[in-house]
Formats: sequence, C-alpha cells, structure tokens
Amino acid sequence: MANMIRKANAFEIFNHWVLAISCFILALTGYAFLFHLEQMNAIFGSFAQMKVVHNYAGIAFAGSLAITIFFYLPESLHITGDDFKWLAMAGGYLSKHPHTPPMGKLNTGQKLFYILLLIFGIAISVSGFVIWLMPGVKKYILLSHLAHNIAFDFIVIAVPAHMYLATLANPGTLRIMLSGTVPVEWARKRHEKWVREMGY
Amino acid sequence: MARKALLISPELCIGCRGCQTACKGWNQLPAEKTKNTGSSENPPDLTPIVYNKIRYVEVPSEKDPVRWLFVSQRCMHCDDAGCMKICPAPGALYKTKEGAVAYNKEKCIGCKLCVAGCPFNVPRYDAKDKISKCNLCEDRITAGLEPACAKTCPTGAIKYGERDSLLGGAKKAGFAKVYGDTDLGGLGSIYAFKDSPKLYGMEEKPQIPESIVFWHKVLKPLAYWGVGGAVAASLIHYVVIGPHKDDEEVKKDG
Amino acid sequence: MTNHWVDVKNADVILVMGANPAENHPISMKWIMRAREKGAKLIVVDPRFTRTATRADIYAPLRSGTDIAFLGGMIKYILDNNLYFKEYVAHYTNASFLVNPDFKGPGELNGLFSGYDEKTRKYDKKTWSIQMDEKGLPKKDPALKDPNCVFQLLKKHYSRYTLDKVSSITGTPKEKLVEVYKTYASTGKPNRVGTELYAMGWTQHTVGTQNIRTMAIIQLLLGNIGMAGGGVNAMRGESNVQGSTDYGLLFHILPGYLPVPSASVADLKTYIEKFTPKTKDPKSVNWWGNRGKYITSYLKAIYGNHATKENGFAYEYLPKLDEGMNASWLSLFDQMYKGKFEGFFAWGQNPACSGSNAGKVRKAMANVKWMVNVNLFDNETASFWKGPGINPKEIQTEVFMLPCASSVEKEGSISNSSRLAQWRYKAIGPVGQSKTDSDIMNELYFRVKKLYQKQGGKFPEPILKLTWNYGDKDASGKVKEVDTHKVAKEINGYYLEELVDKKATPPKVLGKKGGLCTNFVTLQADGTTSCGNWLYSGSYTMKDDKVVNMMARRGKKDIGGLGMYPEWAWCWPLNRRIIYNRASVDLDGKPWDPKRAVIKWNPNKLDPKTKKTAPGWDGDVPDGPAPPYSNEKAGKYPFIMRADGMGALFGPGLADGPFPEHYEALECPLQANLLSKQRINPAIKLFFDQKGGLKEDVFLSCDMRFPYVATTYRVSEHWQTGVLTRHLPWQAELQPQQFVEMSEELAKEKAIRNGDKVTVKSARGEVWAIAMVTNRFKPFKIANSTVHQVGLPYHFGWQFPEDGSGGDSANLLTPTIGDANTMIPETKAFMVNVEKA
Ligand code: SF4
Ligand code: SF4
Ligand code: SF4
Repeated sequence: MANMIRKANAFEIFNHWVLAISCFILALTGYAFLFHLEQMNAIFGSFAQMKVVHNYAGIAFAGSLAITIFFYLPESLHITGDDFKWLAMAGGYLSKHPHTPPMGKLNTGQKLFYILLLIFGIAISVSGFVIWLMPGVKKYILLSHLAHNIAFDFIVIAVPAHMYLATLANPGTLRIMLSGTVPVEWARKRHEKWVREMGY
Repeated sequence: MARKALLISPELCIGCRGCQTACKGWNQLPAEKTKNTGSSENPPDLTPIVYNKIRYVEVPSEKDPVRWLFVSQRCMHCDDAGCMKICPAPGALYKTKEGAVAYNKEKCIGCKLCVAGCPFNVPRYDAKDKISKCNLCEDRITAGLEPACAKTCPTGAIKYGERDSLLGGAKKAGFAKVYGDTDLGGLGSIYAFKDSPKLYGMEEKPQIPESIVFWHKVLKPLAYWGVGGAVAASLIHYVVIGPHKDDEEVKKDG
Repeated sequence: MTNHWVDVKNADVILVMGANPAENHPISMKWIMRAREKGAKLIVVDPRFTRTATRADIYAPLRSGTDIAFLGGMIKYILDNNLYFKEYVAHYTNASFLVNPDFKGPGELNGLFSGYDEKTRKYDKKTWSIQMDEKGLPKKDPALKDPNCVFQLLKKHYSRYTLDKVSSITGTPKEKLVEVYKTYASTGKPNRVGTELYAMGWTQHTVGTQNIRTMAIIQLLLGNIGMAGGGVNAMRGESNVQGSTDYGLLFHILPGYLPVPSASVADLKTYIEKFTPKTKDPKSVNWWGNRGKYITSYLKAIYGNHATKENGFAYEYLPKLDEGMNASWLSLFDQMYKGKFEGFFAWGQNPACSGSNAGKVRKAMANVKWMVNVNLFDNETASFWKGPGINPKEIQTEVFMLPCASSVEKEGSISNSSRLAQWRYKAIGPVGQSKTDSDIMNELYFRVKKLYQKQGGKFPEPILKLTWNYGDKDASGKVKEVDTHKVAKEINGYYLEELVDKKATPPKVLGKKGGLCTNFVTLQADGTTSCGNWLYSGSYTMKDDKVVNMMARRGKKDIGGLGMYPEWAWCWPLNRRIIYNRASVDLDGKPWDPKRAVIKWNPNKLDPKTKKTAPGWDGDVPDGPAPPYSNEKAGKYPFIMRADGMGALFGPGLADGPFPEHYEALECPLQANLLSKQRINPAIKLFFDQKGGLKEDVFLSCDMRFPYVATTYRVSEHWQTGVLTRHLPWQAELQPQQFVEMSEELAKEKAIRNGDKVTVKSARGEVWAIAMVTNRFKPFKIANSTVHQVGLPYHFGWQFPEDGSGGDSANLLTPTIGDANTMIPETKAFMVNVEKA
C-alpha cells in the first residue's frame, strides 16, 4: 500500500455530492422546463410537482454552494505566477506529454472552474429565488429570467467538462470525492506545492 | 381553419359594460368588492376574476367638454404570444385552432413567468396561483358560438369573426389605425382606432421584452448545443489526446 | 313610441334629449349606431356629457328644466327660416284653423294664457277653442295668414324665444343652439326624416307633458310624424312599463286608455256621452268615436253575464273617483302621510327609494296599520321601520313580505316601448315559496271574495260578480293556478253572439259565437262582444279557425328593409308598426319619401283570395283602410285619433296651455323667469305654498343655502332603485356606491377632490355621495351669472348592501311636486348644496 494523503474530508465530500446531485436534478428539470420535455412526467408526475422539486433542489444547491466557499474560495483566490504559466500551456491538456508547473492544492483550471461556478451558481440561485418568491415585479423577473438562463448555459457546459476532467481525463481523481485520500506520489505530481506544504 | 379574431371599435362602444357582466356570467366569475374612487370605471384593473374590463379614458376635445373613450382591455390573443413563449409548462398555455390563446389551469405550474412575457400585462393569478385571463371563450367558440362579450355588445363594438374579413372591413372603413394588424405576428384582438393608439392608452408598438427574445434566440439553443458540445469535446479530447499520464507511466509506455 | 326601436335606424337626424339611451336603453344604441353608419347625425342635448354624448355628432349642454325654452327657440328658427314642411303643415295639422279671437297667450298676459284663475290654479279653457262654421266644421285660413289662425299664433308665441333669450335661460351657447336647430330643421324636407328619443329627462318636470308637446309641434312642422325614421319616441324606463300604462295601471285610466269615471258620471250613457269626441267632418275618422264599444266590451269582459243591457252593463260596479280627485303617486303618499290609509300594498316597487321626497314617503308608511311588500327581495320599503333615523319601537305598521317570482319564472306577454307585445316563456318555476304575481292576486281575490261572501260589506257586488275564469277550479270554486293564456284571451275578447255583417249581401258571418275576436274593429256596443283591452284585441285570435297567439310569432320577414318585421310578435294597434302612418304619404297616397315607404296606396292591388283588383294600401298596416286623403268620397285625414283628424299644433287638451311655454322648475337658481313674470308652471298643484304646508314638502328656490341645480338619473349598471341590481354582485361591482357628478370648477370652489366623500343636501333631506369631479359637467352661463349643476343616480338604498356602503336614495332630496297634467314628480330639476363630508 502506497502512502496516502487526505485531500478532502468527509463533510467536504458529502457537500460535493449534495451539490452535484442537486445540480443534476436542477439541470434535468431545467431542461424539461426549457424544452417542454413531457417525458419527465413519468418521473415527477406533473410539471407542477416537478417545479416543487426544482425549487427545493435549488435550496440544496444554493446551500451546498455556499458551504463550498469555505473549502475552495481562499485557495482559488490564491493566485501565483505558476498559475499563469499553467494557463499559458492550457494545463497541458493539449499535449500528450505535458510538463505543467507545480500546483498547490488546486490547479489553475480547478480554481478557475470554481470561481466561475461560484459566480454563476450564485446568479442562478438568486435569480431562481427571485422568480420563485417575487413573481410580481416584471422588471426583476425579466432580469432574473435572463440571468438564470445565462448561468444555466454556463453550468450545463462547464459541469460536463468538469466531470470529464475529474474522471476519464485524469484517472485517479475521482477517488478524492469518494474516499478523500490519494497516494502521496500521485498527489506530488499534480499538487507539488501542496504536498510539500503538508510536509511530505 | 381560418384564424378568428375580435374586432374592437371604441368608436362604437358606449361604455355600457354589458360585455363585462356577460364575461363574468359565462365564465362564472365571482364579483370583486369595489369602491367608487371618483370614476365609473370599475374594477380598477384586470384581476383573476375580471377577464375583460372597459377602460374609461378622458382626453381633451375641441368641440366638447371632454372626449370620453371606452376601450376594452383583455387578452390580445397574440399570434407570437410572449406568455406562451416564456411559459415553462407544456400545455398550460396553448392555441386553439381558432387562434385563441387558451390555458389549462391543471397544467399551469404557477410560476407567473407569463406575466413578464406578456407585452399587455394581461395574465393574472387566482387564489391557487393558476393563470386566469380571457380565453376568447374557448368553450363557446369551439362549439361554433361567438364569445359572450361579443354576443352581448349592443352596438357591435366587439365583433367576432374571421380575422381577415374583420381586418379588411376595418381598413375599408378608413380607421386611422388598425391596431394589431401585424404586431406580434398579428393580434387576435384587433382595435379600430380613429387616432394614435397612445390616445386610447395603448402601447404604440407592443413588443415581447427583448431579453425574452434574446433568450429564445440565443440562450435556449445554446443550452441545447452547449451540453452536447461539452460532451463531444471531452470525447474528442479523450480519443485524440487521451487521459493525463504521469511521467513514469509515460516512460513505461514509451 | 309612435314608431319603434328598430325604426331609429331609418332616421337622418336623431335628437336625444331628455334621455340617455347609452346608459338607460343600451340596446337602442344599436339602431342609433346603424343610422350613424349610414350618415345620420346624432344630437345629444343634456346638462351633462353622458355616455350617449360620447357618440354624438353634436352635443349641446342645457340647464335642467329648460327644454321648452330650447325647443321653443327651435320652433322660432324653423318658422323664421321657412324650414317647415309646407304641404304637410297645411293639410295634416291644424295650422290653418282659426282660434277664438279672445284667446290670449303668455306674451300678452305676463306668462299666462287667457282664462287663468289664481285661486284654483286652473285655467278656464273657454277661449282655447277653434272657431266653427255653420256646418260645425273648423274655420280655416288655408293661406295661414289670418292673425287668429293657429300658424300665426304659434309664430307669435315663439317669436319671444330669441336666441339671446334662449341662451340666457338654458345656458347653451348660441352657436350650439344654431348648430342643433339647423341640423334638426334639415329634416323639414320630404326626403329627410328626424326622430326624437326621450325618457324621464323630459317627463319628470313640472312642465313634463309640455316638453313632449313642444317636440310634437316640431315634428309636425317638419313633417316627421308617421314617417319611417321619425316620430316622437318615448323610451320606457322598464321593460313592461308600456304594458302597465296600456293596461291602466294608473289611477285615471282603465285598460286601453279609457278614462276612469268620476262620481258625477252616473251611468254608462253619460260616460259614453262625455268621453266620446264628436266631429261633423266626414273626412275625419275620429277613432275615439268608438269609445262606447270599448267600454261596453270591457264591462262585459270583467262582469260577464252580470253585465246586461238592463243594468247598463254593470257600469255601477266600476270604481269611481271623487270629483276632482287626484290619486296619483304624490297625492297617495301625501294622504298616507296624513293617515288616510289603513293598509298598503307595495307591489313590485320600492317607494322608500323610488318616491320623490323619499323621506316623506318613509314617514308616511309609518301611518298605515299594515303593509304588504310583494317583491323578489326585502327592500328599503319592507324594512322602512328599521331604516336610518327611525326608531322601530315607535312604528306600529305590520309588514308582510310576499316573495314573488321573477320574470323568467313565469310565462306571459311583455309590451316594450315599440308597443310590441312579445310572448315570453317560463325558464324555471318559481323558487322556494315564491309565487307569480297572478297567483298571488288569485289567492287574494278568492280570500277577499270569501270575506265578502261571509260578511257582506258595503258594496260586495263588484267583487262577487267579477269574472275570474283563469284556470281549473277546485271544489270551492277557487281557481287553482292562473293560466296566463286564459287572461290573454280575455284581453283579446270574445264574440258572445254570432257576429254578422248585415250590410254585406248576402250577410256575412264575421265571428262565431264563443270565438276569439278578430280585432277591435269588430267590437260592439250592444254587449255582444267582450274585450279586456281593446288596444290588444287581435293579439290572441283566430286564424283559419285556429287559435293563434300572435304575440308568440317570431317571423323575420321585413317590409322594404325598414325593420318593421310585421311577423315578429304583435304590436298594438292592429299590428301597426308606425302609428299615424297615413301622414307618411301625400294627399294621393304616395309616400313623401319613396325610399322609406311605410305605406303606399296601390290602385291595382290584387285581393289574394278573389284575385280581383281591390285598390288598397301596401306596406305597414295603415291607419284605416280608407283611400287616401284626396279621394273625394272616401278619403280620410291622417290623424285618426283626433276628432278633427289633424295633428295638433294648437293643443287645448292640456291643463297648462295650448302652446308650451317655458316656466322654471319649482326650485330653480333664478329669482324670476327670464321670459315672463310667471316663474313656475301656473297650473301645478302646490303641496306647499304661501300659506305653508307640511315641513316635509318645503321647497326653496333661489336660496343661498341651496345654490346648485341638481338632477337625478340612472346608470346602465343598475335598474331603478337597484333592488334587483344591488343584489347582483356583478352589477354592484361595476357601480358600488352613490356618487355625485360635478364640474371641476365647482369642486375647486368647494375644495372637493375627486373621490372625496361629500354631503348633498336639499331643503328636504341629505345623502352622502362620492364626488366624481369631471369635465363632463360644466358650469352654465345663465343670465350673465354662473350656475353650477350636479347630478346623482337614485339606485342606492340603505338596506343593501348590508354594510351600508352603497349609500342611500337620491330621492331623499327630490321635491313633492308634479307635472300639471300627469303629476309625475319633478326629480330632474331641483336645488341642492354640496359640502365635503
Ligand atoms: S358591451 Fe359593447 S358597447 Fe357595451 S361596454 Fe362592452 S364593448 Fe362597449
Ligand atoms: S396578450 Fe399577453 S396573455 Fe394574451 S396572448 Fe398576448 S402575451 Fe399572451
Ligand atoms: S372572449 Fe370570453 S373570456 Fe374573453 S373577455 Fe370576452 S367573454 Fe370574457
């Protein structure tokens, strides 16, 4: 057994999956609303019930998103020169033999993804709540409707990319969100600075 | 079936409001508790139980003490209906073959987005948060009858019939503005105006809010193509470049 | 109506004055708008810019109560400018008749006509007469030049109504007057027709009858009577009010406008003698010459076999009025107030709100022992004892409520303003314990009868001997349920004996014994026919041996596109759609306006049965089959209801003058009448005078405390006192509360804002109302000073809505005064004050 290092704690993992699952439900129902997918009635019974699910999933989403701030925001805002180098070579994803600069706990791509997700996640949550709870004011509704849909478009594009990068594109990554630990050597190659900081 | 419509002629309207009562009668809508606030116009606005109301508009006149106009306010049965466009619930709003924008309360999810989508501020919500508005007396017109308001109107200020022939008639009669001829794909409630629509308290150029048009034209397709694109791009990446490998593995492979 | 609703579409000019059809007769607007679509001009004259005015080509404001001045000016304009229809005036009116040289008019007598007695406030009409020649025919000057001829007198009378004078009285700007006069007078040509539509805005004045007379004169001058698109048309205020007058629901007439006799008219012979006009002119039809046939047939209808030749057809059973007695509304409640009544049936009415001076009416009701309220709902009348300002403990009146069926819960005929009797069917049965009016009457009748049978009483015969064959009877002889068809047949009348035309060779059987009368032409004065109302004879009759309810017909055939629809229901008389239609043709029977031919003489007409030519009339049912006027032997004059056969420019029949004269309303803003020294109509009965009177009847004219002219009216959203509509939430939603309309100028003076609650006060009472400050009312310039007018509807009452949010009746303000002829109360012009509440 190789030496393992803990990259995520249990709560963080749990929260991630709450976020992921609610996001999935929201996206699914969102698509149903957007494209009038009546097939969804097989799952939710009716659109009215689906709306209820959508609304409450929204609470879960917004809540878990808020919690992520404690886990990822400080690290994501911690930007160094290496991040620019990383960006310049697009994280090495365009070459078969990349030599990426040493990264902290999160690589630049992960930071960027998180910041954008946070922005759009807040946008989609707030606009969702406005539509849900303040339906009277036409101006706000129109603005929220626009924001909700722009954020939706981001999320439905970015999240699949995130899923790909966290699974197929980077074998071994998924376990962070399963057990929370990864082999030290695995981590060293990807998050060199962090592993060093952790004293390995 | 040729599209049907209502032709509303304020020049013929005498403000008797038979149509307001007839609408309530036919649709079995309860009454609002109202107050006189210094005008005969009542109730003050459309409500979930007021589908049709006559607005009493007073404008200055040269020959008379005042010019008093009576303008019916109700759903316009837009061809390009903002309410339908934005509505997320299939079957909640729909078009009848006569061209009426009707609705099914059972399918309405009460999101109230249609309020934002309607350029005429028409949809209202009942106590159960379901859409309520004029449905062109769907049950009557589909049975070959004319809507209750048109049937009641003593002067012909509300006429129901084939849209084309009503339009033709109004144009021939030489009205300054036949409102709703082409707006929003052509309205199902057309107005024959003697003056500019503004005078009658109507928007000169009614439009679906731009953000909704943008959403409809750009964001909605993007949601469709975007997710597909993301998945496809991942696949291509996996095949062409392949997953990330550590240096040793690369060497081993080498 | 001389004409009918649909006929309005045939007019070239429509004058709406004394009415507000858009709000009170909305359906009529259909025909007004049709006329307008064809280019007709709509003129609206009203103190207020009404919903009707919004559709008008010309709107002219006038101060309430000055219509005669306004129209008098029009008569002057027509005469001065020679715009009258010369042939029509010369031949069809009494313009050429010579009047008694002693006759004097208001121009000479300071506002009075000759023969006035100040003490009795009555005219001796001796001088209001036509000179007769030795043959007993009116003396005439066909050239219309004689200073004593009607035409010249008319001219003289209205020469005082100059534009300046009229404008300073009415407050109508002069240009507006001229515009209206010019437009309306344009119908004095044979091919132009004007109609007039009026309602309570004309009748409810102390000069109400004369308002209408003035218009009748104008219509005669312009040749608009008898014409399609013409006439003087009363839009009745309720759907069957025409029926109620036709059937004598007034104190002074029996069914079919037969006068109610006074005590001095002792027997039938005297009655017929007194009420049958006579003429020596062979060209005059003088239809009322048939009075004897109608009264006799009426007596036969109501007293049946008890009416015999020997007992004068039971004439003595008819109720009689005391000599000079007036039992109209105002007098009734005055007497009730004074404790002269024991009990009171308020049947289908709400006097506590509808009666002028409703405060007095409410007090009056405390002075009867019992009151029966027959109505759909409880109302302010039935609940008067717990009304505002009344202490129930002090009221002894016992009130009974009899719930009655609504119009959709019973079958029967209804007569609208077009004189059209239409049969209506029952949609559902009466709800709960309610009964139809006729069944309630049936119950009452048999109970009262039983009491008379048991107890005798002073004069039981009229009750005991009444015919009452309206349905199957039970063992005790009581009719179980009234069959409306039986009533309708009784009204139409029966042949009690076989009717034979003995003049024909061989004699022809006109009617079988026991059969329904064909029409009133066949009624007899010898007791061989019965008829409940001669005007309606022919409404339920026999056609080819089959009984036909003519009122139930729904045929849509028309004549010449004029909208007469002769096969739709049935109208009196004889299904004649336009009365006086013989005036629509020239002397030879050719229509004045061939495009609007109501009738036309057809010398080559084919008899459909014999296929032989039998000259006759085409079109509407003519006013008698006689050949046209110019036919020397048999020609007849057009105005068949008048003894002289002529339209009356000079009308001595009314109480207050043969020519209408402008007088101010009982309460007005002016110190004096600008036209003469006589401020108010000299022939009205005053309930309060110099000697005083009840404090309830007080009036204050030209009084600083009540400086504003007021009028009452209705709105389209409510009906009468609102008992039906206030209870209908959909209607209450549209017009929830009592309001008062006033000009912005007045509101500014009184610091009242739109929507404020204000108090409107008159000498008699006060109501609160929501102020509707509007441009629709404008101050009037009257005799160089500014006069404000306000208006309020009378639909509201304290009893419903229960929270009192509706307000109370505007009739709490109106005076106890009536028209000189009809005693209809003057609710359209009185004085008030308005203050912020
Ligand atoms: S019924 Fe006709 S005339 Fe009356 S208010 Fe309605 S539209 Fe106008
Ligand atoms: S008027 Fe409004 S509610 Fe009616 S069809 Fe148009 S968008 Fe929909
Ligand atoms: S069409 Fe029917 S629902 Fe619409 S306003 Fe008229 S009566 Fe009301």
